Amino acid sequence: MLNKNPLRKRQYKGTLIGIAVTIVAYIILPLKQSEDFLSLGPLNTGHEGLSCSACHTDAKGSLIQQIQSNIAYTFGARKTKADFGTQNVDNKKCLACHDRPNDRHPTHRFLEPRFKDAIANIDATQCETCHREHNDTRIVLANANFCVNCHYDLEVKNDPIDVPHATLIENKQWNTCLQCHDFHGNHIYKVADKIKDTIPLQQIQEYLKGGMDPFSSKKKHLPLSEEEWLKMKQKYAN
Amino acid sequence: MNHLRSKGIFFLSLLFITIIIQSCGGVPEETSSDGTSDKVFAVADILTLVAKENDITRTLYTKGIVGAGKKQGLKFDEDWQDDEIEAGPLPALFLRGISSDIRKSPVPLGLYLGSDFPINASNKFQGKQAELFEKIKTNKEPQHFFEEDQKLYTSMFADLAVAAPCVNCHNEHKNTTKTDWKLGDVMGATTWQYPSDSLSYKEAIDVIKAYRNGTKAIYNAYLNEIAAFKIDSTKPSIGDKWPSKGFYLPTAEVFIDSVRKLTSYKSLEKLLAGSDKQKNNDIASN
Repeated sequence: MLNKNPLRKRQYKGTLIGIAVTIVAYIILPLKQSEDFLSLGPLNTGHEGLSCSACHTDAKGSLIQQIQSNIAYTFGARKTKADFGTQNVDNKKCLACHDRPNDRHPTHRFLEPRFKDAIANIDATQCETCHREHNDTRIVLANANFCVNCHYDLEVKNDPIDVPHATLIENKQWNTCLQCHDFHGNHIYKVADKIKDTIPLQQIQEYLKGGMDPFSSKKKHLPLSEEEWLKMKQKYAN
Repeated sequence: MNHLRSKGIFFLSLLFITIIIQSCGGVPEETSSDGTSDKVFAVADILTLVAKENDITRTLYTKGIVGAGKKQGLKFDEDWQDDEIEAGPLPALFLRGISSDIRKSPVPLGLYLGSDFPINASNKFQGKQAELFEKIKTNKEPQHFFEEDQKLYTSMFADLAVAAPCVNCHNEHKNTTKTDWKLGDVMGATTWQYPSDSLSYKEAIDVIKAYRNGTKAIYNAYLNEIAAFKIDSTKPSIGDKWPSKGFYLPTAEVFIDSVRKLTSYKSLEKLLAGSDKQKNNDIASN
């Protein structure tokens, strides 16, 4: 058959090359060594060394089932799409390791109707609004003045600092908040009562970009390591 | 030509059949709801039921743990989870702890506490909540509405000053915005949210369970804080006795058991009423 038509011969060669490339890619791409190549960008501070699968866990069902579900969704036979390949990385994934009972600003707090206007400016209901991954940083916001969105009418009674909060707010110095206040409230440290003793803004900005932690090296709760997370996952799977 | 046409029809039919077969099966939907006939409870009814459980739970905590505990020397503070502060959660933070734990469960229930004179400014009502709270203050009646922006069914219930510790602590707090609270005042309101207008029997049970698990979680978090107190003499003995009897605290099981005894009768009656409704629907449809 191949002798009869040279075009058909080329077609077969092409098919064989295609199959070979697919098999090689199928074997090589899932390897740990290929993770840097596949990654959208360098991981954020603290996440260095994590495997892709720590966040991008396998989606439920086999690939065929996932395709089936999404075809069903396209034709209106089911209400929700199914994750394809890997699960969507959402708050639940982040909280699996980072959930802390003392979080001062947990994402769910902002689901309340009263924060509607604030979250229109900054969607604090999602971890990735500030901590978007694959950016080699700690937070992706350009400015650290986000406190204004909720605390714009703050009044502090018995103000403990030498430059009162009222003055800072009047001067719109919203960048100064983080010089005393740790947003998630997990650091163990003593807050200064004189503005000159607070953490310099430059150090805060470096910290937000992924630099040294100026608040304290002590934290009340530590996140799970990848090994601890895997152990816990295993425990609940059994 | 005819050969090409029949080949085309063959492949199209094959594609069509494949799509049909592929559409059957797949990954089960997580939000797979029961049939509409199983949705026997109106969302407002279940939110009312769980809000009632919340009233009883918080009254028990406020009177039995905070009020009686303070007389025995126990301390309660906003920053109860800070390392240097050895204290338990104030009632408002007890509720926030329950709310946080519910959010960790798969049940899509939201619970919040607010007021027009809150101690913490971030708990001040705004917009529609503030408007409806004015009504609640005058008639103490719950307000049920659909929050358009969030597409959530929302209910607000009056939060009353049911015990002396509510009034005294709020009047005397260093950051208070109102100093003349008295017993029976509407001090604030709880806001509850759920994404569907009706619930099946299972969904209703899940809502109650999520709330009760939340209570257990925050109470256990309090007991864990006590275990970490640095001075042993500041640790009450934890067992089956309550602070009204001395320097004691009930275990989580004893506390939850008391809550159950106070809430279960009414909750069960309401659930059974829903179950009867379902039975009648089934008879009518046969």
